Amino acid sequence: MLRRELAIVLGARVTWLVVAVAALLVGHSFVLAIDLFTAGARSVEAGGLMAREFDPLLGIIRPTLGGIYIAASLLFPLVAARSLGIEQERRSLRVLLLQTAAPLRLLLAKYLATLAASALLLGTMIAMAMLWLGIGGHLDAAEVVVALIGHALHLAFIAAVACAAAAWTRTVAQATAITLLSVLGSWGIDAAEGFAALAWLGSAAEWSITAHLHSFEHGILSVGDSAWFLAATVGALALALIGLRFDWPTYRRALGVCAVLLFTLLWMKAAGRQPRAYDCTQARRVSFPVAAVTALRTLQPPISLTVNLDRDDARRRQLDLDVLSKLRLARPDVQVRYPLDDRVASTEATRDEGYGRIEVCAGALCKQTYSGSRKELVTLLFECAGQPLPDWTQPNYPGYPLVVEGRRRTVVLWLSYLILPLALSTIGLWVTRRRRRK
Amino acid sequence: MVLASEPLLRASGLTLRRAGRVVLRDVSFELRVGEVLAVIGPNGAGKTTLLETVAGLRIPDSGSVSAHGRVLSGLADSARVFSFLLDEAELPEEVAVSTLLAHGQRCSRAPTDLAASLMNALALAPLRSARGRELSRGERRRVALFSALCTTRPVVILDEPLGVFDPCQQLGILRLLKKRAKEGTALLLSVHQMSDAEKLADRLLLLCDGQALACGTLDELRALAALPGASLEAVFLRLLEKQNGCCYAAT
Repeated sequence: MLRRELAIVLGARVTWLVVAVAALLVGHSFVLAIDLFTAGARSVEAGGLMAREFDPLLGIIRPTLGGIYIAASLLFPLVAARSLGIEQERRSLRVLLLQTAAPLRLLLAKYLATLAASALLLGTMIAMAMLWLGIGGHLDAAEVVVALIGHALHLAFIAAVACAAAAWTRTVAQATAITLLSVLGSWGIDAAEGFAALAWLGSAAEWSITAHLHSFEHGILSVGDSAWFLAATVGALALALIGLRFDWPTYRRALGVCAVLLFTLLWMKAAGRQPRAYDCTQARRVSFPVAAVTALRTLQPPISLTVNLDRDDARRRQLDLDVLSKLRLARPDVQVRYPLDDRVASTEATRDEGYGRIEVCAGALCKQTYSGSRKELVTLLFECAGQPLPDWTQPNYPGYPLVVEGRRRTVVLWLSYLILPLALSTIGLWVTRRRRRK
Repeated sequence: MVLASEPLLRASGLTLRRAGRVVLRDVSFELRVGEVLAVIGPNGAGKTTLLETVAGLRIPDSGSVSAHGRVLSGLADSARVFSFLLDEAELPEEVAVSTLLAHGQRCSRAPTDLAASLMNALALAPLRSARGRELSRGERRRVALFSALCTTRPVVILDEPLGVFDPCQQLGILRLLKKRAKEGTALLLSVHQMSDAEKLADRLLLLCDGQALACGTLDELRALAALPGASLEAVFLRLLEKQNGCCYAAT
């Protein structure tokens, strides 16, 4: 069955067109990332910047994955919805179900075939990573693999949503439109982030797809985010399966949909609250120093921070990405509260003198500060717990600045903009060519 | 064990509404082992809908379909009894014929000799390397017929199986279908051309506006139309004449 489904996905010109355009997007992101990285690396040579700031994961891989993200969100639904949607459009789905008598097996075969197409998309990213290594760049395998896992989970989720949409609609266009709407819905939630006026949407942030990719792109393998994608994917596939059960009476299908939605949403909510995560970066550079992490884990709960900063304040974002992210890695049970989010509207005029204050509590004691420094906040935590600050030295991350210019840049441009997209287009044309009959 | 006189398949009182319109109205018939029953009727009479409902692809509002005396409910039950060729269903154009043939054979777990004889009868060997999109309409229908006929399921339902063939190919297909019936497979098919139905069917079910007007052998239908020795086409038109508004030409 899988062979037939693979032929439907890989034998369609639209699949190869999407892959070729995705390769162009990924290539363009890669070139932009390299140019920016090179500009910074020149400053290192001139002594203006520290070499350790040059992190290929954040400087090259993450921006390049941006191309994959756009392709997965806006182009991949065309391919993913087609696998099942084309059977609906050709009116062959019910006959196929009668022939196979195995809706689950048919759905899984179609889903796996769609995943094969998504592997082509990820393949373009891997090609760029290889190119980076080929021109003398540095990559740490573990952190790159974690970033790729995140985007593979994202693609698997989009494929499942597209299957569900196709199972409940009549045409590929309808299924694609529904899949795109779900992606745009998530983007709407992302757009609300950082706007104080949209603070009421804050609780929706946990449903944003992008938010759950964040940790992977920083080399952190998050159990919660992985489980969130898994729950969403399984839920979407379960909805697709119910959609295929045309032999079920309407009430049974409606009950099934309600049960799956309820179970999936609860599972996603629970998964989103699972704080355990593993720092897979080179030199564990997104964690606190090892001694501090060990000591933090011995502190008696509860540990909490109350941050009096608005959603649209850059300091809050910085705090989230740096100290709080590291603190969560060391102590997944840390509670962070943002009291200003509970206000209906927040403007400059309403900000009082307590604005910017951070209250740090460990056990029964609390201390306050206006500093967002990671060492300051951790010191306060240990002071509250009545313990001295442990050794704060961290293994050195050397950084890997690289200037890509001249011939090497020309090679990058040719491969990114022409050779890879052209190669994929040619393979596509060859695979989907008309054959001469024997 | 099924007795020869006992019907293999029984459809009782099938009624189906779609968008507030009754498309099948209390349709009942029986089908015996090795019998060929042709559903005939004007365009829009509900022939395809009836076949889909019998095969379990549509859930009737009332009525039931039973096989070997057991009411069929759900996909698994229907899949044990029916193999289906839907006229409107298109072949996947990206897939090679060889893959489609292998898929059809594997799904139905049909014996290899049956597959080989069907391959031969439908002259599919030269098409094996081609893809769906490279086939003519007749070739595509032959591949679809293979998938429907390469089965050990007791009832094969064919929706307009003969419409796309030239007279030469049609003769071969008619022969093949008769052979399958003789081997014990019951065939339920919808046919547009009265001459084809006359050549192939043991019994005929005349459907008009979702209602079964008559069901029986050609002779029984001739008697009903009071046209002894007439062709099926004449009988068909006479019976429709009686049912005002069923057929544009007849009225």
